[in-house]
Amino acid sequence: MKIEPWTLKKSSKCYNCGDATIHEVNIDQYKMTIKCRECGFTRYYNFHILETPE
Amino acid sequence: MKFHLRVFVEIENLGKAMNALTDSGITGFYIIEYKGMSPEDWEGFSIKEDPKSAITMIKDYATDAVQICTVLNEEQIPIVEESVNKALKDDRYTIIEIPIRKIIVNYGGQEKKSKEVDVWFLEKKVPCFYCGEDTAQRIRIDMNKAKIWCTNCGATRHYIVKGSEKPGE
Repeated sequence: MKIEPWTLKKSSKCYNCGDATIHEVNIDQYKMTIKCRECGFTRYYNFHILETPE
Repeated sequence: MKFHLRVFVEIENLGKAMNALTDSGITGFYIIEYKGMSPEDWEGFSIKEDPKSAITMIKDYATDAVQICTVLNEEQIPIVEESVNKALKDDRYTIIEIPIRKIIVNYGGQEKKSKEVDVWFLEKKVPCFYCGEDTAQRIRIDMNKAKIWCTNCGATRHYIVKGSEKPGE
């Protein structure tokens, strides 16, 4: 099971600087990072569980 | 544009419908309990015009049901529809979507209590790692968790927030 990393963009209000900015969303198999382009505030997420259809 | 969404379900499916709506990102709602008859059940009925007969008829024949109402953005609607359809595939439900012209909220001089809950939805069309189908992979990001699911097979990857970093700290 190989999951390719993705890079996405989301335009939204930043939790830190409060500006409407572009956030870079990087997702791979084990982690996810969301970084504000303006202020550099970054949130880190870790892979938790995989739910497969029955 | 914002929409007023009304989901009509039978009372025993309220929990399922609420979970489906929460999953698709609604942040607030109100519910109305009612007794109702669908057009198919009502067809051919005629009732005596005295109030007692009318009330007895409703008590005996109408179904207990609930209307879940919420206000959401236009782009959230397909996600809600899909989620409700998935949860209530074998049950009866009706969805009515009404465009809203204006919303006026007065907090009566009090500060708004809670910070607005911001949920992000993203989508990427790539082959699913599980079923292999080249279809939309939907991403939901909350403050403390995130999930990615395939719109074809439903395989879901869950992520939990680990921390955040402010520049210069």
